[in-house]
This record gives sequence, C-alpha cells and structure tokens, in this order.
Amino acid sequence: MRGPPPRHPDEQREQLPAVEGVIADAAELQPGNRVVYPNQGVCEVVGVEEKDIAGQKLQLVRMRREEDGAAVLVPKNKVPSIGLRRVATGEQIEGVFHFLAAQFEDPELDWKVRHRDNADRLIAGGVLGVAEVVKGLHSLSRIRPLPAKEREQYDNARHLLVHEVAVSLGVPPALAEDYIDYALMPPAGVKFDLKPPPTPVLLPSRPKRRRPAATEEEGIEDLGLGDLGLGDLDLGEALAAVPEGEAAEGEGAEGAEGAEGEAEGEAPAEGAAEGAEATPGAEETEEEAAPRKARKAAAPKVPAPKAEKREAKRAAAKEPRRKAEKPAKAEKPSKKPAARKAAAPAKKAEKPAAKKTAPKPAAKRGGKKK
Amino acid sequence: MIRVVTLEKIDPADMAFLTATLYRAFGLGTEHAGDRPVPRDAEMDDGRLDAVKFLQDVAPVRTFADDKVLYITSAPLALPPGPLGEPPCWGFSQYGGERAVITTSKLPERGVTEASIETWRRRLAREAIHAIGHLWDLHHCYDAKCAMHPSWSPALPANPEMDLDTFCREKSERRIRLAKT
Ligand SMILES: [Zn+2]
Ligand SMILES: [Zn+2]
Repeated sequence: MRGPPPRHPDEQREQLPAVEGVIADAAELQPGNRVVYPNQGVCEVVGVEEKDIAGQKLQLVRMRREEDGAAVLVPKNKVPSIGLRRVATGEQIEGVFHFLAAQFEDPELDWKVRHRDNADRLIAGGVLGVAEVVKGLHSLSRIRPLPAKEREQYDNARHLLVHEVAVSLGVPPALAEDYIDYALMPPAGVKFDLKPPPTPVLLPSRPKRRRPAATEEEGIEDLGLGDLGLGDLDLGEALAAVPEGEAAEGEGAEGAEGAEGEAEGEAPAEGAAEGAEATPGAEETEEEAAPRKARKAAAPKVPAPKAEKREAKRAAAKEPRRKAEKPAKAEKPSKKPAARKAAAPAKKAEKPAAKKTAPKPAAKRGGKKK
Repeated sequence: MIRVVTLEKIDPADMAFLTATLYRAFGLGTEHAGDRPVPRDAEMDDGRLDAVKFLQDVAPVRTFADDKVLYITSAPLALPPGPLGEPPCWGFSQYGGERAVITTSKLPERGVTEASIETWRRRLAREAIHAIGHLWDLHHCYDAKCAMHPSWSPALPANPEMDLDTFCREKSERRIRLAKT
C-alpha cells in the first residue's frame, strides 16, 4: 500500500473536494446532531444563541463535547472554516479498519513534512485522516521511537480516533481501541480478508503566506481585533475557536505557539480545548480576552520558559473557574472534566523538555513557512 | 486507591505480590477488597464471560472518588466482534472510568515451581497495570516493552515487563496527580 498521499502542489484549498460529511453551512446544524470538531472530538449540537461581544451581536453555535461535557461555542459564520463534520458513517469506519489493517510500507521520513502533514490531516482529513496519522506514526515507531512531540501527537490522534470509532459504532471507547489495535497490530496468525482501503485524503497545498484567508480576517474584524495584529498570525484554526473559548486566555499561549509553527497539530487542539473547557464559565468579557491577544500578537515568538510561565498562570486562573462550572456539568458527574482539564497544563510541563532536547522548533518554523 | 476484587480464591502470596506491584506502578494504595460472585447476565453459552456486560453487572464494591476497582476472574473473557472480527481478551476497562476486569485464563500455567509462579505473577501484574492504565486514561502504546502494549501483539515478548514506559508512566502520573488536587 502507498504511504501518505501527495500534496496538491498548486491547487487552492477550495478546489479540493471537501471531506465527506463536512458541514459547509451552520444552517445544516440541528440541535441533537452529533458532529466532530477537528482536534476536539465528538460534540452534540445544543443550539444557536446570540451574544453581545465587544458591542457586536454574534451568533454562536453552542455544542457540548460528549467525552467530558465541555461547552464549545463557535461563531455561526466560522462553521464552514473550522472543518466541523458529521460523525463518520458505518461505511467510512469500515474503510478506516481496512486501511488500518493494510500493509504500510513507506512512512514519511522527513519529520518536518510529516509533522506538518499530520497536523493538517487531523484538522482537514476526516476520520480517515486521523487514522492516517495513527497508522503513519505507528509504522514509523517500528523503525525508531517517536520524538516527544510526535509521541504526543500519536496519542492525541489515537484518542480522537478511539472516540469517533466508539461513537460511530456505539461501543465503549476501550472496545473501540481494541478493535483499532486488532487491525493495526493483529495477533500472530490472524489474516484479514481486506478490501482495498479508501483513497487517502489529499492535503491542500500550504499557503505561501502565513496570513489567514480573507474570510478569516473578516472574522477577526468582526471581533474588533483586527487592529491587534492578529492578522499576521496564522490562527485560522485557533481563531475560530476563540469566542467559544471566551477563554481566549487559553488561545493566547497556544495560538501563538501554533503560529510559530511548532506542533500546530497539538497546539491549537490544546488551546481550543482549553477554550472549550473554560467556556461554561462563559462570563469572561472580551476586554479580558483582548489584552491577552494583544500580548500574544506583540510577542508571537515566545521562548519556551515564558510560554510555560504563562501556562502556569493560566492553570492557576482556571482553577476557580473549573470549580464554578462543576454544577453545570451535573449530568456528567465523573471526574473526567477535571482530569482532562487538568491534563493540559500538566502536558505543558513536558514541552520545555522536548524543546530543550533539540533545536528543532527553529528549524521547523523555517521549514513550515516556506 | 485501587481495590482488587476476586471472583475465585486466590493465593494470598499472589495477591500480596499484585498489590505491591500496583502500588509501585501507580503510587496508589492497593488492597484486596474481597470476593464477588460472577454476574449471571455476563455468562455466555460457550462458558466465557461477556467482558462488557461483566463490568455493567458485577456487584459493586464501596468506593470513594477516583478509586479504581479491578476484578480478577479465571473465566475466559469475550468481547463483542468488531469490524474485523473478535479481538482476543485479556481484560477490559471502562476507559477513564472506575471498573476493569482481567482474566487469568490466558496467562501461562501457574505451575508449582518457583520460576513458573514468578512468571505467572509478573504476567498477572502486567495485565493488571494495563487494565488500570486504561482507567487512568492511558491508550495503547506501540512500545512492546510497555504494559500498555496490546496483550495479543506478536511483538510482545514471552515474558513481558510489568512496567509502563516513560510516556505512559508520566501521563498516568499527571492524571493521578490532577485527580488528587
Ligand atoms: Zn488495552
Ligand atoms: Zn507506553
């Protein structure tokens, strides 16, 4: 079987066929729909609400992440650009399993290309894109252990895949994971009667400039943030998540990292997740959010230790809010929200180490911008 | 706290080895919380226990926040078949949840020699760490030397270590630490 698909060298993103199930218009969303927010997981649509943000009325789609009950808010006009899609169909899931079980000969060996492509796959590749990341990194791990950042990406991709398969098949997550690994690393002597795997998702060519697309800039202006220099940051993905984050707080550090070009697969995810999680406390105002963004815009190249400090600050700031939001999550009394939420700051703790081990971020940044 | 519940009699020395190993692996107090009967609804016609039903129907033990309960049975466990068939089952966990079950039916013979008993105990401990790892949000791991590597993998050595690799250990430590705060 072939390795990951080639990029389209010159075609525009818009000219590529959309991944099956992508929500092109917020009007398609009905309360009760189950959708996948790339890098976030399966969410249930709650409804549309209007909020007054910085003097502007903003229509927001409210969703609830199924895994932990976290609230996610997305501006209605952002829906087409964030890659929201319907939960994979039975047919798509079947294709995923035949893909996972197929022979995979040639993992991408250039880590810069690989990391960037995998980040794109997680955002725009549909469920098959997520499976491609898991399988690609898994194949690579058989040649050599993954670097810390990709080990993290592998675990994140696995987490997303496990949960989407679980929701699509209606089985518990641990069972979904057993199904996945039964395909990925079958027991000795087990041979599957495989169908040809589905065609891998074609990745769009990366824009030469790191500026967000025009529509995204409009979005920024809508929020009255255009003058903060945000337009210079490639926050396409992260920004879409800002208002729901209202915890733009989280976006701050993470978004900047994403813009730096490191770990964008992880960073926006983490950042947006933070946002999502902080949302139930939703009372944060845009005034609070804006200065944080300004800070981010002013110093987009945050050295690791600073980012870490900020992270710690955020963690501290988040603590009370987390408690406050508990009642809102009464229907999901498990410790998951806390565990998950708490996980992000801790996760951060690893990053500096990863950064120290290699002068990679710089190299990667360069690589990515070309 | 990890509470280990048995469905059949277990040698107290085997249990002592297991609780000590789990304590070392997760830094959590571990105790034997007694026996419970096999939940009838989980019994299948072929003599195996449906692992998913087992965890739903087994008699509970008293727990406090963030306690994990590990059931140990000698009966073979079964999973519902998936898209490519039925994966073999050493154990099953409620991912990120409270209960897990493991079976001793797939372990090498316990035997009577010191060496065979040691091998058996270590293998049981590995499966226990794997199952509890899932309860602390760990996913499967590609490292065949890690307890989170799938138990059926051809890459798994005959006598696997009963340890988590660095990634999984650190992740579980974070989850546990955060649950405590
Ligand atoms: Zn497992
Ligand atoms: Zn591991």
